[in-house]
Amino acid sequence: MKKRLYETDEAVIEGIRRSDERALAHLYKLYFPMISHFILSNSGTEDEAKDIYQEGVIVFYEKTRDNSLELTCQIKTYLYSVCRRLWLKRLAEKGRYATRLDETDSFVPVEEDTLQHEEQERQFGVMGDALEQLGEPCRSLIEDYYIRMQNMQDITDKFGYTNTDTAKNQKYKCLQRLKKIFFATYKPEV
Amino acid sequence: MLEYRAYEEIERYLNGQMAAEEKAGFEALLHADVRLAEQVREHRHMLQALKGYGKRQHLRQQLNLIHSEMEAGGQATTPNPWKVYWNRQKQTIAVAASVSLLSVFGTLWSVQQMKAPVKQQTARYVELRREVERLKKAQTALMNGINDASKPVAPRPAAFSGTGFAISADGYVVTSSHVVEGADSIMIENKSGLKYKVSEIYRDEIHDLSILKIADESFEGFGKLPYTFKDTESDLGERVFTLGYPREDIVFGEGSLSSASGFEGDTTAYQISIPLNPGNSGGPLLDDKGNLIGVISGKQAGQEGAAFAIKSAYLLQLIEELANAGQVQPLTLPKNNALSAQSRPQQLKKLKEYIFIVKVYN
Repeated sequence: MKKRLYETDEAVIEGIRRSDERALAHLYKLYFPMISHFILSNSGTEDEAKDIYQEGVIVFYEKTRDNSLELTCQIKTYLYSVCRRLWLKRLAEKGRYATRLDETDSFVPVEEDTLQHEEQERQFGVMGDALEQLGEPCRSLIEDYYIRMQNMQDITDKFGYTNTDTAKNQKYKCLQRLKKIFFATYKPEV
Repeated sequence: MLEYRAYEEIERYLNGQMAAEEKAGFEALLHADVRLAEQVREHRHMLQALKGYGKRQHLRQQLNLIHSEMEAGGQATTPNPWKVYWNRQKQTIAVAASVSLLSVFGTLWSVQQMKAPVKQQTARYVELRREVERLKKAQTALMNGINDASKPVAPRPAAFSGTGFAISADGYVVTSSHVVEGADSIMIENKSGLKYKVSEIYRDEIHDLSILKIADESFEGFGKLPYTFKDTESDLGERVFTLGYPREDIVFGEGSLSSASGFEGDTTAYQISIPLNPGNSGGPLLDDKGNLIGVISGKQAGQEGAAFAIKSAYLLQLIEELANAGQVQPLTLPKNNALSAQSRPQQLKKLKEYIFIVKVYN
């Protein structure tokens, strides 16, 4: 029953736009074997296949979510193209020059999308490191407020501050530090 | 203390929580205050990164969940493990294979290089009996027989031929034993067309010599032989010559005695520098004076000018043995040399009557 719901590409895209987790799950399960086969046939491991595939799905998912996806082909082809591009890059980094890829599908040019994705990855990587360096309780405080969108009162209670003002002040200090750490390593590429 | 209020302001502005009036005021402030504008920009950038990071983390968790769910469902299909293994290792395997191939052929090649000089030393000894184009002619003869049965069948040509020479006036002829090996019948024929049937009466395989006796009843003797047999060793550098039948006609060959030992240090033979061909085997080797000093036996394959002749001492020894065996009367060897004072053409003219082509049929 569930499967029938997302039989077409349009239905899947629609589902993702509606934040339907089942749409994502369906899509994920549908094309993993294809990408896994591709990666494994081109000197990759099971884990690398999973990694690359997830990157690909993320690119697709996020572009679908902010409506910037201009899909000129099937989702399948798009995913394959993105993963192929990412895998080529990964191979080059590993110093293995795959002179001839064992293609398992046709592909379309997706350089722009993957470049954008890589830039984002870099940025998020820096952010992750910055949060790591920030340490507790700053990290939880920032994450609770900005990512999990909890309100100030709940946070005050959770961390045991006397009032929201103290909490806000604390949050300000943490954010100040995070900013410093983040911009120390991250320079946006213009 | 109040600094965080500025942040709150910025955040409210970024989140669009300001009222229109307040927003306008703040934007005016942004225009005026470059530092504030920069701060706002930075803040926005960082919040975006932070939120994006949060979302990405969430998405990742979700995907991992889906993945583990999928794996639990056992849906993951992997391609043939052999293929996977091959794809992963093929570069390494290719390198290993080419290295081993290279070393195998490299070794073979270098071993061959090292063996090359050795090979020359183990060159073959070639016996110089002539193999006549037997098969072809035999077939023609057979066909003639079928086509015209009434016609007498043409005499079968000899299978092999060599050279032989007379050693006594009463019909004894010597040749190399490899020439007459495996013979059914043997014919000899000299330049003037005298043809006799002979039979082998004595053989010394070690020295490669055979003594034949003319079995024809019409045979009346050779007359006096013009050459004598030398029983001592000849000297290095002596001029020597031979007559033989490497083809249907008699052929003269001249050279010098180049070594006192033969093939692979064989002391029973000389090495001589006369160009020889198959058919020369069994021919006489004579010195300038017309003394018989040896019997041609063979040459070394692939080596120019290295031919061999059995020393005459062994021929004499053989003749003696033959007499001792008691099968025949002792041979009367020629005592006088009629050639010593003559020029070469004169010598040859006399000699060729006593040199025979030995035809072997089997």
